[in-house]
Amino acid sequence: MKERDRRGKILMENVIFIILNVLFLAILILFLLRQGQGAILLEQSYAKQIALFIDSAKPGMTIILDMGKAKGLAEKNGLKFEEIIINANNIITVKLSEDGGYSYSYFNDVDVSIYPDNSDPEHVTSYVIKINEYK
Amino acid sequence: MKKKGGAKIIALYWFVILMIVAGGIFAMVYSFYYHPYDVREIEGKIIINQIADCLSNQGELSSELFDEEGFSASYKNNFLSECHINFNVEESWNKEPQYYFKIDFYKSEDLENSVFNILKGSLELVASCEIQEEKEYKREVKCVEDNFFSFNGEDLYLIKILAIIKKTEKNVK
Repeated sequence: MKERDRRGKILMENVIFIILNVLFLAILILFLLRQGQGAILLEQSYAKQIALFIDSAKPGMTIILDMGKAKGLAEKNGLKFEEIIINANNIITVKLSEDGGYSYSYFNDVDVSIYPDNSDPEHVTSYVIKINEYK
Repeated sequence: MKKKGGAKIIALYWFVILMIVAGGIFAMVYSFYYHPYDVREIEGKIIINQIADCLSNQGELSSELFDEEGFSASYKNNFLSECHINFNVEESWNKEPQYYFKIDFYKSEDLENSVFNILKGSLELVASCEIQEEKEYKREVKCVEDNFFSFNGEDLYLIKILAIIKKTEKNVK
């Protein structure tokens, strides 16, 4: 009887030990996944991406940028998808949270129109960047 | 009793290892995600492309670059507006300019001496570029250089373009 108790105790200790290890790994993986989806990081990457698109574009070009990740995050933070990109005075600002926002400038002196792509009204996840004319 | 003590030491040892692993992963994540993306090199290449497109079309130099006397001084003076480049985006950039570029024209028969050049932006940035010739410093400016040949109907020219981008606040931590 005593031997069986000891065996049961060892098994229990091992099970707890394994569960704790799995839990630790799960927390680490969740932490890693969450880091890549933060508003600060996405705002910066979208703002720089859009500014560089505009810099390298020529009048007449139309660029469609998928912003599905940004849409999910903005709506979660109570912002409308139509309001997340601001283009003023050669500066692109991407705002995915109430207090946040990241700006990056472009040197190409063009007139740009930026608006959500409504070609499929049920799935609006992209933005249209239209390069009109040189200023 | 002896066995129990050994198990406790192993558990403690394991706990320490877990903490080291977690610390290492946190440090890696911090260094990867909490440093801005440095896009200055791409920006420099884009400026060079824009200048090259403005100066030359399908291997032929723009006619606006020349007048009766040779290279046009007025084209040089108005180069930024002619090529649709705007360096005065933010007000603070008047005090601390963020861009510079230099275009040198060499005749194909003499690739040592430049026959014409166009400089725009802040000359102060050139010194930061020179100190990086041997070793690159992240907190300094980014220098991008490229060259191409183009023809004007009479002569073949080598055109060397150096673009310098500062913008350290937005690209380096």
